[in-house]
Amino acid sequence: MADSGDRRRFIYNLHEQSKPVGAVRWLPSVSPFLRLAAMSVLSPPAIEIHSFSSQSPNPNPDLNLVSSYPLPSSATSLTSFKSHNYTLIAASTSTGSLHIFSVNPYDGKIESQIISISDKDSFHCGPIQSIDVETSSTGECATAGEDGRVNLVLIGEDKVENFRVCESDGLVAYSAVKWGSPVEFVTGGVGPGLQWWDKRRPGGPVAQFKGVWGRGTVTGMIHSIDIHPSRKHTCVVGGSSGAVYAWDLRWQQQAITLAGTGLEAKSQPFSESEVWEVKYDAFTPQVSSTKVLPVMMCSEDGFLAVLQQDERPVQLLEEPCAINSFDIDPQNPSDVIVALEWESVGILSRGREETEMA
Amino acid sequence: MPGIPSDSSSLIPFALEGSSQPPPVYPLQHGLRAPIHRIHISWSRGNLLNVTCLRPPPDQQEEMAREDDEIGGKAVEVLLGGAILEGNIGEHKRRRIAYESVKSYAFLHDKKISLAKMETGDNLSAPALTYWWQYTLEYSKSIRDILGNARLHRPLIEDPKNFLKPEEVEQPIGTKAAWELMEIFYVDMQLLSWLPERLVDWLEGYDSLLSKTETVHSKLAILQRKVTSMRVVEDEPGYWNGLAAALAVGWLDVVAKLLRLHGSYDPDQFDKRETENGLVEAVVLLVSEMPRMRPNLPNGKLGICYQTKHDYIKGLEKWRVKVSGLESSPFWVHCNHRPTRDGLINLLHILLGDAKHIADATSHWLELFISHLLYIRPLTNGLEGMGNLAEKCMNLKPSANNGLTSLLAGILSENPEIVLADCLKAFGPWIVAHAVDLLTANSEYTDGLLNEERYQLGGASIGELYMLVYAQALASHPLTWQVAPAYLSTCLNQGRGLLEILLLRQPVQNYRVVLKTLEICHLYELGNISTHIMKMAGMYQWKHGHKGLGIYWFQQSRDKTRLSQIAHKLFDNIGKSLSDDSFKQWEGLMELLGSDVGIAGGLEFLHKYREFKRSLQQIVNGGTVEAAKKSTELLVQLMRNPSTPQRFWLPLLLDSVKLLEWRSGPLLGVSETNLLLGKLQELSMAKLRPDFHGGELKPNALGDVRLALAKNLGRAILEES
Repeated sequence: MADSGDRRRFIYNLHEQSKPVGAVRWLPSVSPFLRLAAMSVLSPPAIEIHSFSSQSPNPNPDLNLVSSYPLPSSATSLTSFKSHNYTLIAASTSTGSLHIFSVNPYDGKIESQIISISDKDSFHCGPIQSIDVETSSTGECATAGEDGRVNLVLIGEDKVENFRVCESDGLVAYSAVKWGSPVEFVTGGVGPGLQWWDKRRPGGPVAQFKGVWGRGTVTGMIHSIDIHPSRKHTCVVGGSSGAVYAWDLRWQQQAITLAGTGLEAKSQPFSESEVWEVKYDAFTPQVSSTKVLPVMMCSEDGFLAVLQQDERPVQLLEEPCAINSFDIDPQNPSDVIVALEWESVGILSRGREETEMA
Repeated sequence: MPGIPSDSSSLIPFALEGSSQPPPVYPLQHGLRAPIHRIHISWSRGNLLNVTCLRPPPDQQEEMAREDDEIGGKAVEVLLGGAILEGNIGEHKRRRIAYESVKSYAFLHDKKISLAKMETGDNLSAPALTYWWQYTLEYSKSIRDILGNARLHRPLIEDPKNFLKPEEVEQPIGTKAAWELMEIFYVDMQLLSWLPERLVDWLEGYDSLLSKTETVHSKLAILQRKVTSMRVVEDEPGYWNGLAAALAVGWLDVVAKLLRLHGSYDPDQFDKRETENGLVEAVVLLVSEMPRMRPNLPNGKLGICYQTKHDYIKGLEKWRVKVSGLESSPFWVHCNHRPTRDGLINLLHILLGDAKHIADATSHWLELFISHLLYIRPLTNGLEGMGNLAEKCMNLKPSANNGLTSLLAGILSENPEIVLADCLKAFGPWIVAHAVDLLTANSEYTDGLLNEERYQLGGASIGELYMLVYAQALASHPLTWQVAPAYLSTCLNQGRGLLEILLLRQPVQNYRVVLKTLEICHLYELGNISTHIMKMAGMYQWKHGHKGLGIYWFQQSRDKTRLSQIAHKLFDNIGKSLSDDSFKQWEGLMELLGSDVGIAGGLEFLHKYREFKRSLQQIVNGGTVEAAKKSTELLVQLMRNPSTPQRFWLPLLLDSVKLLEWRSGPLLGVSETNLLLGKLQELSMAKLRPDFHGGELKPNALGDVRLALAKNLGRAILEES
C-alpha cells in the first residue's frame, strides 16, 4: 500500500464547521499574516470567506468567518482568481446559475457582484458541474453542465457576453472543464473520454481521447481535470474507481495511469473509490523531467495523497470520512486546505520544523 | 415541532379506546387557516414524517374575490422519536458527537471481530477477555473525550475569594455524566476497591446537574456571588451552611479555602481573636488530613491517601481520635464568637459522621448518599450494600428524580434493562447504542441478557434493538445518514434489511450523491442494491432529458431491457435519415456506447451505424477499393445484426447503392447479395402491413435498390464462375 508521509513534519489542524462544506479554495493573500479562504457551504447555500492568522503564537489558529455571499441553490463548483488586481470568486450552482463577485484582498469582505447569470434557455438548464476561468489573457469563464451544454462567458468591461460552444441536448453530460491555453480547453464527463476544444474551430471537439478505465473492466466518470501552465499538452484526470491518469495530446492513444485499477496487476490500487479532485502539486519535487509532474488527489474514502509516475503514492491524510475537495495555495504550495464530509475543514502545512509541532 | 398549539389548527391523533394513559398530543404548526380539507402523511428517511395539509379547493367566485396571498396547502416535516441526544445540546454538536463516536465504535467492533477470529470456541478465553476489557476501557475513554473535555480557564492570579472552581467553558452535559457513571460501575474494574471515592469525584463534576436549585453546588454558587460583598463572613449563616454542605460531600479544598476567609485571619483582628483563629486553623488542618481510601489525589485536592484497607482503617482511627479530641477541647469556652463556635463544631460532627448533621447539610438524596459513603460507611463495597444505602437516603430526603439519579438507582438495583431504558428516556438513543458494550464488558450475565436473540423482537436482541433505534435516528438526517451503516452492519438480524432500505431511499438527483451511496453499497458488498440505485438514477436522468447520463447509469447497472427500450425511443429521435450534421450532436453519446465494457443493448446499432456512415463519407470523397470493401463489410454486418431496426434497412441499402455499383468490380459476393435481397424482400412484404413505418424516402427507392442489387448479383455470379 501507500507510504504514509513523514507526519512529523506536518502541521494539521481541523476546524469544525457547523454546516456541510462542499468546495474550498485559497484566496490570493496580500499580507503574509492574514490568510483568506473561500468555501461553499450548505444550509443555507452560500460562499463563505474565512480568514485565519498564519503567524499567531497559537498553534491552532481559528478560522473566522469574514463575509458570506448567498447562492440560490447549492454550489457545485468554486474557483478563485486574480484579475486586474481584483480578487474574484466564481461559483456555479445546481440550478444552473453562475455567480462572480469580487473580494477585498486585505480583509476578505465582499465588494461587489460582477456576474449573476441564470437562464434556462440561453445558459444552462440543470446543474453546472464545473467551471474554469482563463486568467492569462481573455478572462473567459467556461462552464460545463449536466445538461450537455458548454458555454463561454466573457467578462467584459461593461457587459457580459455568453457563447454557446456545445449544445448536446442532454445526449452527453459534462462534469469537468479546464482551460489549456487562452483558446483551448478540455472537458470530461460520463465515460472515460476527454474532449479537447478549440475556440477557433467551433462545431465540435477537435480531439477526442478514448480512455480505457481499469484494464477495461469498469467504466466511470471524470470528476476533475488539471493542466499545468508549463505543460499545456498534458491533462491529468481524476475519476471513478480511484483512477488518476495523465493524457498527453501528442500521444493520444495511450494514457499514463498514475493510480487506480488501471495499474499493473502486481501493484494494489491505492484507492478504489471516487477521486473527487486532482491538482498538480508544486511543493513535491519532480523526480524526472520526462515524467508527469507530481499530482495531489483526494478521494471519497478519505485519502489525500501525492502521486508520481512509477512511484509509490505518498499519503498525506487518511480521514475516516470523505475528502470532498482540496486546494493547494499557489503562493505557498506547502499549505493545503481540505473540505471533509463531516462538516469540517482541515489545513495542512507541510515541511515545517518539528519543533512547531508542539 | 415549534409553535404554540391553537384550537383551530392543531392536529390531534386518534385516541385509542380503553388505553390507560391518554395518548400524547403533539401540536403541529402549519400556519394554514382552518378548515383543513385533507392531510397526507408519508414516511421520509429514518423517523422523519412528511405531513401535507391541504385547504379545500377554492370556489371560482371565492377565487376572484380573495387576495392572492392565501396558500392552498403546506408540507411539514416531523421528526419523531426526538433527538439523538438529550435536548440541551445544539444540533451541530450532536452531529459532531455522532461523527466522532462512530470511529471509536467501529474500532471496537473491528477488535471484537479479530478477537473472535483468534478464538476457536464459542466463549472467549481468559486472555482474550482481558484484551476485550482493555479495548472497552479505551473505547469508553475515547467516547468520554468526545463528549467534551473539561477545559478550564485558569486565571493567572487567583482571587482568594474564589473558592468554587472556575466555570467550565462547556457546561457539563448530562450525557457525559451518565457515561462516566456507567464507566465507573461497568468497565473500570481497577476502581472497584475505591468506588465510594470515585463517586465523590463524579458528584463534584456533575452535582449541578442533579437539580437546578436544591444542590450543594447551587448553595455554594449563591455564596460565591455574595461573598465578595460580605464584610464579616463569619456572621452570615449562609457562610456556615455552605461550609457544612461542601464538607458533607467531600469538597475539602473548597472547605479549606472558605475557612481561610474567616475574619480571624485578618491581621488587624489577629491579636483579639487568637484562640478563635487557632480553632479555625485546627479544623482546616484536620480537614486537610482526612484519610481517603484511594490511590492518589489530583492536584489541589486535600486528604491523605491510603492504598490498602488495613492502613486506611488505622489512619482513620487515629484521625477520628484527633477530631474527637478537638471537639472536646477546653478552648471552645474561650471562643467568644458564637456563630464560629457553632459552625466549627457542626463541621466536626460531620467529620465524625453524625447522621443528623450530615442530613441537615445536604440537599439531595444523592448528596446524602455520597456523604454517608464518605463519613459513615467508607468501606461499603458491592452494589447490594450501596443499593440499600441509596434506598435509605431516598426515603430520608425525597427529592425529584431526574435521568441521572434514576440511572444510578437502576445501576445499583443491578438491572441492565432498566439502566438502558432509563438512559434512552433521559438521554436519547445515542448513549444507549454505545453503552451496550460497556454493560456487557465484564458481565457474562448481562452479555447473555442483552445479546440473546428474542423471538418477540423478530430475532433481534435487546442490544441490537437499541442499535437499530439509534441508526434510525441517524438515518433521518441528510447529513448523518452516512454514519448509520456502520451501526446497521453490526446488527446481525435486522441490520442488513434496514441498511438496504436506507440506501434505496437516498435521493438520486445528484450523481455525486449517488456515487457516495454506491460507495457504501460497495463497502458492504450490496451489489444488487447498487444495481437498483443505478437503475433508479438512470430513470431519473432519462426522464429529465439527461439522456447521456441516463444511458450511463443503465449501462453501469447492465440493464439490457431498458437500454433496448431507450434505443427505440432514440431511433425515433434520429428520424428517418441521419444527416452528417446531426451526427455531430450524437458524437459524445457514441463514445459512451462505443466503450468496450459498457453494454449498449439495442444502442449498439447506433455506434455501428455511425462507423458505416463515416466510412461511406470517405468513399464519397474519393476512396480506395480497400475503403470501399471495408464499408461493404460494415454494411453486411449491420444487415446481419438482429439489433438493426427494420426501419433503417432501406435507408442503409439506399446509402450503399454507390457501393453496389462500384466501377472496378462487384464488392459483394453472391451469398451476401442474396442476404441483402432477402432483407429487401422482407421489407416489401412488411410494407403491406398497416403498422409499417416507411419514412420519407423517395417513392422509387425500393426499386432503385432492387435494381442495384440485381446488377451486383449478376456481376458477382460472373466473377465467381
